[in-house]
Amino acid sequence: MAGIFDFVPAIVLLPFVSFLVALAVGNRMPKGGAFAGIVATAGSFLLSLATFFTVSQGQTYNQTIYTWAQGLDGAVTLEFGLLIDPLSALMLVIVTLIALLVHIFSLGYMNDEGETGLPRYYAGLGLFTASMLGFVVADNLLMAFMFFELVGLCSYLLIGFWFREPGPPSAAKKAFLVTRFGDYFFLVGVVAVFATFGTAAFAGSESFPHLAEQALAGETSVNTFGFAAETWFTIVGLLVLGGVVGKSAQFPLHTWLPDAMEGPTPVSALIHAATMVAAGVYLVARMYGFYALSPTALAIIALIGGFTALFAATMGVVKREIKQVLAYSTISQYGYMMLGLGGGGYVAATFHLMTHAFFKALLFLGAGSVIIAMHHNENMWDMGGLKEKMPVTYYTFLSGSLALAGIFPFAGFWSKDEVLYETLIHGLGGSPILLVAYAMGLLAVFFTGFYTFRMVFLTFHGKPRSQTARDPHGVRWNVKGPLAVLGVLAATTGVVNMVPVEKLLGIKGIDFLHQWLDMSLDGLTAHHYAELTPYSSAYIGGEATTVAIGAAVSLGLAIAGAGLAYVLYNVPEPTEHTDKLGGIKTLLYNNYYQDEYQVWLANSVVRPISRGADKFDQGVVDGVVNGVSSVSLFSGSRVRRIQTGVVSNYAALLTLGLTVLLLGFGLLGGWFQ
Amino acid sequence: MAGALALQSGPLPDWTAVSPALILALTGLLLFVIDSIDSDSDNTVLLAGLSTVGSLFAFGVAGWFLVEGTGQAATGGAISLYGDALVVDGMSLFFTLIFTIVAAMVCIASLDYVAEQRHQAEFFSLVLFAATGMTLMSMSNSLATAFISLELASLPSYALVAYLKDNRGSVEAALKYFLIGALSSAVFAFGISLVYAATGSLLLSDIASSLGDADGMTGILGMGVLMLLGGFAFKTASVPFHFWAPEAYEGAPAPISAFLSSASKAAGFAIAFRVFVEAFPLGQLPAGVDWVLAFQVLAVVTMTLGNFAAATQENVKRMLAYSSIGHAGYALIGLAALTAGGPNANVLGASMAHLLVYGFMNTGAFLFIALVEYWGVGTTFEDYNGLGARAPMACVAMSVFMFSLAGLPPFGGFFSKYVLFYSAIEAGFWWLAAVGAVNSALSLFYYSRVVKAMWIEDAAPTLELGSKPVGLYTAVIFAAVGTLLLLPAFQPVIETAQTVATALF
Repeated sequence: MAGIFDFVPAIVLLPFVSFLVALAVGNRMPKGGAFAGIVATAGSFLLSLATFFTVSQGQTYNQTIYTWAQGLDGAVTLEFGLLIDPLSALMLVIVTLIALLVHIFSLGYMNDEGETGLPRYYAGLGLFTASMLGFVVADNLLMAFMFFELVGLCSYLLIGFWFREPGPPSAAKKAFLVTRFGDYFFLVGVVAVFATFGTAAFAGSESFPHLAEQALAGETSVNTFGFAAETWFTIVGLLVLGGVVGKSAQFPLHTWLPDAMEGPTPVSALIHAATMVAAGVYLVARMYGFYALSPTALAIIALIGGFTALFAATMGVVKREIKQVLAYSTISQYGYMMLGLGGGGYVAATFHLMTHAFFKALLFLGAGSVIIAMHHNENMWDMGGLKEKMPVTYYTFLSGSLALAGIFPFAGFWSKDEVLYETLIHGLGGSPILLVAYAMGLLAVFFTGFYTFRMVFLTFHGKPRSQTARDPHGVRWNVKGPLAVLGVLAATTGVVNMVPVEKLLGIKGIDFLHQWLDMSLDGLTAHHYAELTPYSSAYIGGEATTVAIGAAVSLGLAIAGAGLAYVLYNVPEPTEHTDKLGGIKTLLYNNYYQDEYQVWLANSVVRPISRGADKFDQGVVDGVVNGVSSVSLFSGSRVRRIQTGVVSNYAALLTLGLTVLLLGFGLLGGWFQ
Repeated sequence: MAGALALQSGPLPDWTAVSPALILALTGLLLFVIDSIDSDSDNTVLLAGLSTVGSLFAFGVAGWFLVEGTGQAATGGAISLYGDALVVDGMSLFFTLIFTIVAAMVCIASLDYVAEQRHQAEFFSLVLFAATGMTLMSMSNSLATAFISLELASLPSYALVAYLKDNRGSVEAALKYFLIGALSSAVFAFGISLVYAATGSLLLSDIASSLGDADGMTGILGMGVLMLLGGFAFKTASVPFHFWAPEAYEGAPAPISAFLSSASKAAGFAIAFRVFVEAFPLGQLPAGVDWVLAFQVLAVVTMTLGNFAAATQENVKRMLAYSSIGHAGYALIGLAALTAGGPNANVLGASMAHLLVYGFMNTGAFLFIALVEYWGVGTTFEDYNGLGARAPMACVAMSVFMFSLAGLPPFGGFFSKYVLFYSAIEAGFWWLAAVGAVNSALSLFYYSRVVKAMWIEDAAPTLELGSKPVGLYTAVIFAAVGTLLLLPAFQPVIETAQTVATALF
């Protein structure tokens, strides 16, 4: 059947071709190869839309397309394949759309600003998009890992785009090393999955989540290396989670992300909204059937998520640069997604992944627009009053901010509310640990509201606080266009899953996203995941009441945070209030000394260990090797000495050797008895 | 198939099965006739061409027989001739391929090497007679023919080593080779007599069937078996009968070193495989005659000593001589990893395949030495400095040989060694494979020294190479191409080897 699924590889390959084109002939093309990237991502976007509609007809696709290592006699087979189900189809549309908009925006941000090295930039964007798309459609964990690593490589290349300045190369290295640290665990996890199940497929009756499910039910047995099955699955899940924590910038591996702001702003938009950071959360969603089997792993995911959400939000409160605020908001928002996944809210987390992709891309591109206007000054204290000068940017940015803060009825409200709601009811249903995570997530709503509107007010309201803010640089259609598209999406995508409306007003059938994710392959549906998770639900005085209370509380906190920001910063001449925080200010400015303690860890713990390992390598391993070779050289020269050149010596030695053999075997074989 | 059936039952009588040996012998005689008519003939092209054609013809016939299934199970099993004194089966044909192709390469290479020498016809006829002897060794089915063919292969070899009559090294090496050879032959003959005393037969199959009656004669039999082993160890240059090898290889003309270290060694293995597997089958041996253990000892000692000694050499040719002893140790795994009821055909077949690959890479390496000798460049590693820039093609070929001998992919030596070690593990002798692997790692050290000298070191300013000899170049490149092609073509080789080995058990 030559259906749309036959063209799915093209979704991945088109940006890859644009990468090759930009790299090879970008110099000779207008706009440094931008159009190749725009055409390619537009093509991918259209194909993704077609795929999306085909999936909406109830079709799915799970196919191996290339076997690159055939395992014989029960050895594992390594394959590339495609898995197109509602989750990956949705993600394809998100990624290609954002990539397309980022390409267009780059015309304004990079080309119009006269940057050099554009072919390299567009080649990087193309490869980045292709890697992420390959990751999205991967049908097994190993393939996912390979593209995951490619995503990491591309982020390194793009964050360090301005490699002649001191900051970007260092930030790129940091991003690469920190995420690589997490990926070590991921790699071990991939090997563990292969060793345990003999397959790393995500879907189907021979997939590892399914085998794990059967193993727990006692229907099949897998090699669990002497652990109880559930313990072992938790270990494997947590190993893979190492990669997720690194890529999705969760505590304690989040430190690379704020530094990554050194990269070009469109790249930040791509990294934060649709590619690298999203990859981690997407991976958990992709293999949710495996995590759902382990209550411990889920609880850890929820706690990490909740803690990261709160922790990052507090750090965002004091930042001066607009992109820094957004960076911490990204960490915080991915914390919400992890909270949702850990709290049993698969649909809620996917929902938030989607809405966040739109409003965060919007905010970054909006920030990019502001940065163009401000001649690349990112300090918010030098801005102010930009509202009148750049209305398109202001209103779209406001739309994104309302979504980020979780204000009704913008997209972020619905998804964040659902994440919190799912965590709450499952926490009430006998998992008190979720309530802890929920409390942290809820508290973070207040901080989110505060830092978001602090950013808006400082940037756009009040009086201009610098000469550039009084006379900002204009932006063109290629900046405004993407902003407009995303501004609309940030305001409206909430309608795809209006669970509170459904519950409160009793309108059935408007939880479209839930239905959508239920159309997947057997064993990958939201319904199935809900059965697998160890949670049960309980309510405060009925379902509708709980929904209402939850929504009201989170909305109230968000408005309170925004209101505080309004009081403090929506004045013509805002002043810094951070001094009122006292000692906490220093703590927050220094990001809770996370970097410092990691550097300390590297210097005082890892370095001595490495030194020890080096000693061991130099002394013991090399010693043995050198010993063997010097023994061999020594005995070799002995052998040379035996070889005297005198033939009678040879005859004697030969006879002697034969005699020894005869005597030895004679005694051994009892010939002389 | 038609040809094979015809050979078994139809127009071609059974004796034609030995035609590879006959072709070699006739070519040798023809050269002899030329020598008698014109003893100072210096028409090297004619002589070398004739002997190469003869070798290749024998190669072609042996290959044709092998493909058509002559002497194999498919066409009615081994062909016995002359009262079972000779037998033609898959294994003998497989080894004949090795001898003839090596002989052909050596003859082409000698075109330039002996061009300035006298008595050239003698040289080529001796090569062909030695090859005849080797072919007969692989066909020997009784200890008497084994001894005679072994001598037929050895005697021309002594003379060939001494071919550079005015060269003291060549003459001295030949004398040592001859003396050690005489001693070994005596040991071998004594072993035959002891085995005869214990079993009352010289035919391998008869020896096997009368093993059960050798009660009370275990000591006699055991000593006989060990002494036979000594005779073969001489031919394969295994410890402690290896002393001649470094001297003879170093002193002999380099093409002859190639011939001895590749073909002659393979012949020793061919006869050792047949004698031990056929005459002393594992299940029927009386307790106390444990030749497998003896081969295990020899294998470990030989590969270790060969590699250790090779590591300290300064002279490239001598290094190759010791490396050839080390490779004898690897090939001995073919007999050392046998067990009653184990995957014996796989082990033996792997060893045979390794010898085939070895025939290409080792011959090529020695022929490269011949090339360097032809140019008059020195013999040590330092003298090879910077050769890569002057003669890139030949040096690429030499690098191929070195890496292939060390067992690195993507060369033929990688698979043959891999399969050999793998089959040893399969047979339960993981420690043999481990010793082999450690030795291989060590061997990389001295093989890479050659490559480093050729490509990385700077040449001495005085380094001048003469002309590019056609024959030597042809042979070296041919061997390199063979070494490379044996990687993709290893599957049919190993399958053939293991199939023909199955027929022995």
